[in-house]
Amino acid sequence: MNRLKSATALGGLVLAAAGALPAFAQDQALIDAAKAEGTVTTVALPHDWCNYGGVIEGFKATYGLEVNELNPDAGSADELEAIRANKDNKGPQAPDVIDVGYSFGPTAQKEGLLQPYKVSTWDTIPDDIKDPDGHWYGDYYGVMAFMVNDDLVPEPPADWSDLLKPEYAGSVALSGDPKASNQAISAVHAAGLAAGAEPGKAAAEAGLKFFADLNKAGNFVPVTGKAGTLAQGATPIVVYWDYNALTGRDTLKGNPPVTVVVPKSGVVAGVYVQAISAFAPHPSAAKLWMEYLYSDEGQLKWLEGYCHPIRFNDLADRGVIPQALLDKLPPPEAYKAAVFPTLEQQEAMSAEIKSNWDGVVGVSVPN
Amino acid sequence: MRLQHFWAWLSLAIGMVYFFLPLIATFEFSLRMRRGVYSFDAYRVVLADPNFQATFGYSVAMALLTIVMGVVLVVPTAYWVRLKLPRWRPVIEFITLLPLVIPAIVIVFGYIRLYNTSSMLPLTGTATGTNFLLLVGYTVLALPYMYRAVDTGLRAIDIATLTEAAQSLGAGWTTILVRVILPNVLVAVLSGAFLTFAIVIGEFTMAALLNRPAFGPYLQVLGANRAYEPAALAVIAFGITWACMGLIQLVTRLQKHTSARR
Amino acid sequence: MALTAGPGGRTARSWAWVGIMPFLAFALLFLILPTMQIVVGAFRNPEGAFTLQNIANLFTPAILGSFWISIRISFASAFLGCVIGFGVAWAVTLGELPRWLRGPVMTFSGVASNFAGVPLAFAFLATLGRVGLVTVLLRDWFGINLFALGFNLLSFWGLTLTYLFFQIPLMILIITPALDGLKREWREAAEILGASPFQYWRMVALPILWPTLLGTLALLFANAFGAVATAYALTGSSLTIVPILLFAQIRGDVLGDPHLGYALAFGMIVVTGVGNALYIWMRTRAERWVK
Repeated sequence: MNRLKSATALGGLVLAAAGALPAFAQDQALIDAAKAEGTVTTVALPHDWCNYGGVIEGFKATYGLEVNELNPDAGSADELEAIRANKDNKGPQAPDVIDVGYSFGPTAQKEGLLQPYKVSTWDTIPDDIKDPDGHWYGDYYGVMAFMVNDDLVPEPPADWSDLLKPEYAGSVALSGDPKASNQAISAVHAAGLAAGAEPGKAAAEAGLKFFADLNKAGNFVPVTGKAGTLAQGATPIVVYWDYNALTGRDTLKGNPPVTVVVPKSGVVAGVYVQAISAFAPHPSAAKLWMEYLYSDEGQLKWLEGYCHPIRFNDLADRGVIPQALLDKLPPPEAYKAAVFPTLEQQEAMSAEIKSNWDGVVGVSVPN
Repeated sequence: MRLQHFWAWLSLAIGMVYFFLPLIATFEFSLRMRRGVYSFDAYRVVLADPNFQATFGYSVAMALLTIVMGVVLVVPTAYWVRLKLPRWRPVIEFITLLPLVIPAIVIVFGYIRLYNTSSMLPLTGTATGTNFLLLVGYTVLALPYMYRAVDTGLRAIDIATLTEAAQSLGAGWTTILVRVILPNVLVAVLSGAFLTFAIVIGEFTMAALLNRPAFGPYLQVLGANRAYEPAALAVIAFGITWACMGLIQLVTRLQKHTSARR
Repeated sequence: MALTAGPGGRTARSWAWVGIMPFLAFALLFLILPTMQIVVGAFRNPEGAFTLQNIANLFTPAILGSFWISIRISFASAFLGCVIGFGVAWAVTLGELPRWLRGPVMTFSGVASNFAGVPLAFAFLATLGRVGLVTVLLRDWFGINLFALGFNLLSFWGLTLTYLFFQIPLMILIITPALDGLKREWREAAEILGASPFQYWRMVALPILWPTLLGTLALLFANAFGAVATAYALTGSSLTIVPILLFAQIRGDVLGDPHLGYALAFGMIVVTGVGNALYIWMRTRAERWVK
């Protein structure tokens, strides 16, 4: 975590020294080439996720390009499959850009699915979350949090260990399948970290044990938790990325009132990465899209969706984040303790949780 | 027949309770958008979207086309297999069961691989081509139901005798199919048509990946990560689809009336 | 049927296969070829070489267990769907209910047959979940605590109950034309010969309907076997049925083994094939006594 901070601090200094920059280096040639192409095709970008709705509108308004949105329901594996299947297809079904889980970046690169591109703000992106050759680069992160329905849970839990208490019987749910969903797997990992284990395989094992205990205590609800099930009451507490929890809270508009709690311990950060498809039908538009995302404007739009953009520290150091926006975020102390798993730790804990969830937690089949 | 009457009403009553309770629960939840008070706010949000009509119209058109393609494909095949090639029945039936266990996402990625802009049949390059591909995909999805329904209907009539009689009167194959067989299995075809219609209206994966403006993807975009709107959408989609099917049934009944008068 | 002798004495029967060419061509182009990836991928490893390892990997207790659960749920919902659907279809066609009921029942069945996935799971959670409408009603009005009695929606029988929502309508739609085909003359003839309604059903109607019932059972089985969205939404992490495993390997946003996913899909096709073969065998035996 210190390397992250020093790298961005250095980058920030360089930029500050270079003087006040416009939103990004205006490369007119790129803009013209992109306008000639006319569209950029995205995939797996739900509008409520990190305020992608706002990002897309902002991009369209700034450059007058169309954004062709494919399957917002896609998972990271679907996005890679979309690139593979559309290798020879230049039609509107082929994605130009992808936004995938951390571990998918290197995998896609190895398979030759990505083309390198370094945005003009490249140096302000921390080194350990980008490919040195520019094939993939971190875009935003969030931490694991609890989304709590205040109507049904009068006293929100403050930490992972609280979840085991009897007053939360039949209340706690994950947001997806821990064999397939990055969000659910990170939740299990975070529980393990809270128990004091090392990130990676050890925390995965501890996390599985935690959920086994949670299930035995009768506090775990094996339903996929969403805003709907939270409001209806089937899953009063959902373990979500903080940005999803906060956006959900805003969408519900107090019906029911929701508290978003970043647990005191076991704060795991999850990073996603952006990349351009090697077979993109609109390469210039794709590059322009990246420039927009990594410009101050794009990064702040993600922040409006409660996602911490990858250049957060740089933006904060330069003082370009509006105070109103900062006030809406959870207190920064919660993020100081955040653990950013390395790629190896990520893969180790994913493999562990995927293969052992059924065996250890063993939510059995009563019949 | 008093006892039979009783059992009939009881079966229907139990069925109605089982089916209506979950729908009522969904409806009740969708009314809760405004805190503490029942209101139609969720419905207002959903119906205010201009894309609603456009995508629904597109899906209805695709549904009707799929029904036509399904009937044209399945009725002659099922008829022919029953009449002349009974040994092929198991093979055909197995093929028609495959779409149930092969995930739609695998099928549509297969289409993109096989029929993309650089292949021999570049269907994905044009809107018409992609629409055709989607139509074909829908037909494949509806195949199990259409085939089984038509096969059941053909079973109930004596196609051998009907065919012989029609041939002895000088009918060609097309006449036999259209004027003799089809009217006799219309009820079965209608069942298949209902099933097809519902499938196409609600279908998401193929339309999303082929990038067509259908109702399924629209529902998904609107409902993602919200609480009350998806429930309202489910109720609206259910109601509208039911109404459309009622219309189809009405049209068919009118046809029967006019043909009977002849 | 005029049998024309072609050159070399071939009869017209040998041309019969032309009749199903359109269907076979359609199936080949738009079903079999696009999904060859499954069959090919099931026997390939990530490097592209031929291997049987993926198939071998299917025989772990976890995966075999999930196949077994899938088969059981599919069979339970198919069987119950058949029985209950038959009852409702009978009530509406032969049960002397008002004529006008039939149309709405058929169209409703049409819609309900495709009401699955997240909306269905949510509907059942909102009805029979912990704070569902019926659960709360029973508790407040009748003092019955459903969950204390051991009922749990998130279980084998809970999922089967949910699956029935689209299985029963499917049965109704398919069996109704068959029930229409039961000629009144047969019923009247049986009555004249002194048969009770029970005897009529047992000795006349059911044997006639038997092949159709079996066929619909096979369809319902395959329908439930491939259903993933509902199970996912309802019991995302507990009931590990095969489609959920499949999706975890080839979809999702954690690295899986797509080749294992293809092997799983291949396994599902094999199970469906076996089920179909069983059905064909039973139907052939039943059809021996019926024209």
